[in-house]
This record gives sequence, C-alpha cells and structure tokens, in this order.
Amino acid sequence: MSDNPLAVEVAGMALPNPIIAASGTFGFGPEYAPYVNLARLGAVAAKGVSWDPWPGNPPPRVWETAAGLLNSIGLQNPGVEVFCREDLPFLRRAQTRVIANVIGRTIDEYARVVERLEREAGIDAIEVNISCPNVKEGGISFGQDPDHAAAVTRAVRAVTRRPVIVKLSPNVSDPVAIAQAVAAAGADALSAINTVIGMAIDLKRRRPALGAVTGGLSGPAIKPIALRVVWEVAQSVHIPIIGIGGIESAEDVVEFLMAGATAVMMGTVTFRDPGRMEAVIEALPATLRALGFECVRDAIGAAQGFCEEARP
Amino acid sequence: MPPARMVVCIERREVVARDHVELYFRHPALTAAVPGQFAHILTEGTLRRPLSFSRLDPASGLAAVLFRVVGRGTAWLAARREGEPLDLLGPLGRGFPPPEPDRPWCLVGGGVGIPPLFAAWARWKASLRAPITVIAGARTREAVVMVEDFRAGGAEPWVTTDDGSLGEAGTVLGPLRRWLASHPQGQVYACGPTPMLAAVAAAVQGHGPCYLGLEQRMGCGVGACLACVVPAADRATWPPWRRVCCDGPVFLAEEVRLE
Repeated sequence: MSDNPLAVEVAGMALPNPIIAASGTFGFGPEYAPYVNLARLGAVAAKGVSWDPWPGNPPPRVWETAAGLLNSIGLQNPGVEVFCREDLPFLRRAQTRVIANVIGRTIDEYARVVERLEREAGIDAIEVNISCPNVKEGGISFGQDPDHAAAVTRAVRAVTRRPVIVKLSPNVSDPVAIAQAVAAAGADALSAINTVIGMAIDLKRRRPALGAVTGGLSGPAIKPIALRVVWEVAQSVHIPIIGIGGIESAEDVVEFLMAGATAVMMGTVTFRDPGRMEAVIEALPATLRALGFECVRDAIGAAQGFCEEARP
Repeated sequence: MPPARMVVCIERREVVARDHVELYFRHPALTAAVPGQFAHILTEGTLRRPLSFSRLDPASGLAAVLFRVVGRGTAWLAARREGEPLDLLGPLGRGFPPPEPDRPWCLVGGGVGIPPLFAAWARWKASLRAPITVIAGARTREAVVMVEDFRAGGAEPWVTTDDGSLGEAGTVLGPLRRWLASHPQGQVYACGPTPMLAAVAAAVQGHGPCYLGLEQRMGCGVGACLACVVPAADRATWPPWRRVCCDGPVFLAEEVRLE
C-alpha cells in the first residue's frame, strides 16, 4: 500500500486522492486549466457525451437558490466522435485520471458510445449517467427503474473492460433498489447523487426562472440528501461509492467518507472557487488526523458501526 | 492578457445614482483588458457575478465596474467599502474589436450597458478620424449613467429616457435611426438589455457592422458549464448556441439570434 494517506482505489482505479471534478461542472478540462492543476486532482470526470451531438435546453440555464444552484443545461455536448478527436487529447496530456461520462437516449446508444470510447487510450473509467433530470428521453428515465438501470449497466458492461461507475439519481423513492440492481448487473462502482429536481419562479418576468421550467438542484442545499443516499446504499451494496452533493470542505469530504463513500466529486463550488478542490486536497490530511484517522481508507464507513450500536 | 484569479482591494467606491455603484481597482492585468470584457466577481452567493468594465485606464492604473443593485449578489457587492478585498476572475470573454478609424462610429448604451461603451469610447476615441456619436438611454433619468464622464472627455451624448425625465422621451432607437439615416455605412457598438439589442440589431441590419455586448445568466464564466448560451443565428451548424462568457460577450449582430 502507498505511503500517501490520501490514496484510494475505486473499482481498480488508483487515485492519488479522493477528490474528483464532477461531470458537467468542469467541461472537458481546458476551460479550467488556467486556474486548476488537473494533475493534482484525484480524477476529472468529463462532461457527458452522447452518440450524436445534443443541443441542450433553451436558456436561462442556471438560477441561484439559497445555498444552491438550479441548472437545466440539458446535456449539451458535441457527440462522442468530436469528444474523442478534439477533447480527449487534452485530458490525456493533463497527467490526470480521466473518467468519461456517458449519456444516451436508448440502451443501444449508451453501448455504442462506450464501444467508441473503448478504442481510445487515456480513459481510466466510464461513468454512466442514468440520472440527469434535464432531458426527457434517456438520462433519468433509466435511473428511476431498477430493471432499466440494470439493463443499461449490462449493455455497457458487455462492451468495456474499464471500470464502470453508475451515477445514481436521488429522484426515486428507493435508491437502494436501483443501486442493488446496477451492482448485480456488473457495475464496479456507484456515484451518488446527481442533482435533485426543482424549480424557481422569476417574479419580475412572471414565469419559471429556467428556460426548461424545471432543473437540477446542486450545492450545499442537497448535501444532507446525498449523505443519506450514500449512507443507505453503502449498507446494501459491496462496491465502492463516490459521494457527490454540496461538498465544499475537507470536513464535508470526511462526512461522506464516514457515511461510506470511498471518494467524492466536487462541482458547484468550483464555479465560485476554481481552486477549492486543490485547497480541500491540501487540507484533507490534517483534517483526517484531527479526527483520529491516519488515512482516507481508515475513514471510509467509519460512522456505519455507530448505526448498529444506536439501534434499540 | 490571459485571465487570472486575483484578490484586489477596492481602491474607490462611488454611488453614481440610486442603486448604481462603481467600484475601482488598481491592477495592471485589469487595465490591460479589452473593453467589453468582464470580471467574474465573488460575492456571498453560489455563483460569481459577471460585470463588464466601465473604465480601463492604464495611465491612472485604474479599472472599474459599474453595476445596478438587482439582487442579493449585487446588493452584497454594493455594500463593500473602500480597502476591502474582492476575489476576481478576469479579464474574461471576448471584448469589442477596435473600431475602424475611417468609419463613423455610434455607441448605443442602455442602462448598465452604457459603462462598457464608455470604456470602449475612452480607449479608442483618439484613433477615430471619422465622427463619433454616443447615444445613452434608460428607463428613467437616474439610470442614464456616465453621461458626465462622456462630457468630461469631450463628447455630448444623445440622451433618451422611457419616461421622458431626461433628454428625449422614448428609447435609443429614435436617435439611432436618425444617425443611421445620415451615416448609412457607420459602425454601431451597442450594449444593454436584450430587447434593446434585438431592436438595435434590426435597425442596423443592411447598414455597417454592428457589435453587441450581451448579458445572460452565467455560471462558471470560463466556458465549462454551458449555462450562459444564446441562440446562434445559424442553427444548421454545431453548436446551435454561443457562450456569452467566452464566445462573447461581444458578438457581431449576425452571429446571434436575440429573442
């Protein structure tokens, strides 16, 4: 094992630290390169790519809320071919770990995108987005039904040797059922959570604030929701979980680790503070030590034992 | 000048009108910005606030932003004091190109769209051999900002207000159409609310070049999140949008479709 107290392994992927740039908040990498040392991050999850280009939703696409952010980007992306040709080379050169995020309207589209990515070097894992609330077809519709979620996972699993991470939605009555279904279907890891469906009204314009009417809520407002999903899923599956939702500090990271996550993704905070992921990596060893942990691995699931003791 | 993240103290703070505040910064990377570019300023909200530069003066070393208080972020910013540090990303975006020296130049600003045009005018007025006209409009008199700054620099803006409380009653379209009648091949730089820009673009169509400084709800400010898009005029080619933060905020009128 490594001497690096921050090193973790997620589904066979060795990460120098557990901090990953969340898909959709970090573009394809070069946009933030003037402000962030990509090599320093645990990994970068690229923006989701589909088979054909997707135009995304009409603006406005973002709206600030109390301790959060609503977005309705709608998975605008240039398609997997352009991603491979124009965006992947930069990420390869960036000396970081690359997670390609995949979206589709049909099970077949997910599989075709992953098949295309399989021909490319420089991708360390595939994240399957079955949980975007901003598109009508594909996206969340696969993530709200255990059988559909499992079918997408199986289709992707069949065409890649790389680790498969399935990104879960909080917009379901039973996230555990989805998690168990995709784990049984061959997922190597889970990421949780995607954004929470919400909306806002623009008072002055007398209409929904977002062009797409509803959007996905992210930021500190959803951290308790994310922690609860990670907590429950961690008790029910035996594959690693990447925690996502409102993480802004090293303490937030340790909360997710203690709830059962192996790594985390940070996103919304990057918009206001592009340096925050690196600052959290910097602060994490001291934070862990202050809480009595020698390394990240020691903290993973540390709060789970309490649960048993506290039960009557 | 490549964009950077910087912490800069407020050198000067001025309330220029009710709900309108101008903050000055001393930083060479900022004064080197192109007029029309913006600073993405950290406030207490979830997102930064994109504000175009109102002044970019390498001689005095001062750059400034002038904004209207419209919500929590701008209210927080307006409450800062001289000497307080602010966290800025910038200069960001694509600003105005230098105007053609021999083409009559008309700058059309609406409300807080006037400040970036003042920066453009101050930067390039001496390079023009052709006449320059400034049209500044707003809903009401106190929102017509920077008129005295233009006057101090030797220009006499044509002022319009929707309610007739200052200058000509009506919008900037009236004076713009008269200017176009006598300068059919002139170049127009405009900045203001989207409906105003749509009307300006329509009026200038068939005349000289027309550059528009756009605003849109913005996320990251660096091109990553794809929040601040506006429809591209050409929807047949990919992508069907332009990002205001990095493809703009300044666009040729023909590039975008304003709805």
